Amino acid sequence: MEDVLTENPPPSRFFQEDLNNFVPPPESLPSPFIIFSNPKPELPLRPSLLIIAVSSPSLYVFHNLPSKTLLGSLIMPEVPFSGNTMEPSLEDKSCNIYSLSSTDDKNSILLVSVQLPVSPERSHIVSRLLIGQDIIPERVIILDSIQSRNFRGKLSPDETLAAKLETSSEKKATSCVNLDYFPSGSVIDGLSASLLSRCQLRNIRGTLVISWPEFGPSVVRFVGALLKNIVPSLDIASVNKDLDKYSSKTGLKKDAWLDSDLYT
Amino acid sequence: MEFVVEEGKRVSEECSTLILPALSIGNVGQLAVDLLVSSTGAERIGYLDDPNLLPCVGNDAYGPLPCGEIALPLEVYESFSIATTLAQQRSPVAKGMMIKFAENIAEFAASSGKKHVVVLSSLDFQRLHNLDMSRGPQVYYLSNVESDGRDDHCERLGFGRLHEYDSEGRCWKYLSSVFDENNKEELTFPSEDELEDIDYYPSLPFAALFSAFKAKGLVVTCLLCYCSEGDNIPDAFLLAEAASKLTGLSPDKFRGEEGGKWRIPYSWKSMYGAPPDMSMF
Repeated sequence: MEDVLTENPPPSRFFQEDLNNFVPPPESLPSPFIIFSNPKPELPLRPSLLIIAVSSPSLYVFHNLPSKTLLGSLIMPEVPFSGNTMEPSLEDKSCNIYSLSSTDDKNSILLVSVQLPVSPERSHIVSRLLIGQDIIPERVIILDSIQSRNFRGKLSPDETLAAKLETSSEKKATSCVNLDYFPSGSVIDGLSASLLSRCQLRNIRGTLVISWPEFGPSVVRFVGALLKNIVPSLDIASVNKDLDKYSSKTGLKKDAWLDSDLYT
Repeated sequence: MEFVVEEGKRVSEECSTLILPALSIGNVGQLAVDLLVSSTGAERIGYLDDPNLLPCVGNDAYGPLPCGEIALPLEVYESFSIATTLAQQRSPVAKGMMIKFAENIAEFAASSGKKHVVVLSSLDFQRLHNLDMSRGPQVYYLSNVESDGRDDHCERLGFGRLHEYDSEGRCWKYLSSVFDENNKEELTFPSEDELEDIDYYPSLPFAALFSAFKAKGLVVTCLLCYCSEGDNIPDAFLLAEAASKLTGLSPDKFRGEEGGKWRIPYSWKSMYGAPPDMSMF
């Protein structure tokens, strides 16, 4: 049991180097970019809905959705391809962009599976690539997990929770994401925060759904049901099929876990 | 840095004073700006988007109840009744990018017609050499009104001049030069290994902001207080009170709780995390 007297409060403090003007700037990295499959679609893509999976449960759901077509991939030059497979796999360090083939308009709904580590420092440039340049969506839904380090409340490992944050334009419209708002005082950082900020700045309807726990069958079922509610034509039967084998730590099947950097 | 005006809002040319926090120990500057926004009823008019700022989002910080209005990392508020613009920064600057960030925000201030900038920051109590408790908690200041950092107005208000400011010191000179558009001299970045105790002050974010605003020809006043990490709410009140005195805000401009001056922001209710699990007792 956690010791309530010595449990660390949520971090809101700085390291000395965070407050030092004379820390040298980092070496600049080459810009990330998107490559599209052949034939290259007409750009910019203008989906009615762009759904971006950042959390492990949502990546699992996306991976197991049938009837999706690989449209392209976002490449971050600093992330090595070693260990990636030819066919998309949950183990890959990749950021694939799919269209949902089940809809009448081929590129009306796009899915993005963010399976590579995007640092907070690189989030700004990645979110600009995904929203507002080659892809200009009417509406965006981002799926991430509640970060316990930034949450100023109690999180039980046994209880599935979810909340949302949305842009002003989404708030004015009729939302189909029927969740309570994320409590004030807690924050979300990282790529999903950058993506939602980008929507707000571009006046795009955007919703960030954050769920808890970070792994586990219950939250996978929740995400599947949420997506089915948003896109009724979505086939989530295969998502729930092997759910009991869903690893609690990696979102992969338990007996298929690999550290790709060690074994290539 | 891009300034995005919120739909339906406009920028007021009458708001010639800008108050903003510098990242500092205990987040005191940011807490003080929270108090000022909440208590003056300032309205959000836009956002500043800067690639050097780390991302974060949250629910409305001010209330009275969180209504789902999204909060972004760097937001601009204005209160016409006090003719003041307030910028609130909620997330850190990427490591090593503080100088670039300061340059960008100074450009925003200058291009949006600001005349006076007030920077709120705290200093590490362990660095305070001459402790004088007889006067109670002390607010210090640094101004560019005179070359030695002095400002008569601040002196009359009882603020203590930051004596550690030395415009000819190596690091202060470096900051002045790096923001000077006309500087052609090649600058040597002070190495971390070479920094001494006296270089503590110019190494802090408030110093970068001070130098950047100064280079743009704006009047800039830094208000500072010494503190330690812990419950920094009293320090926030001290700085917010000092800022309101400096900018001449009269008490009737505030919409405090129960007729008082200050209104506690809603987000402060959970500042130190959730209450303990009482079931253990």
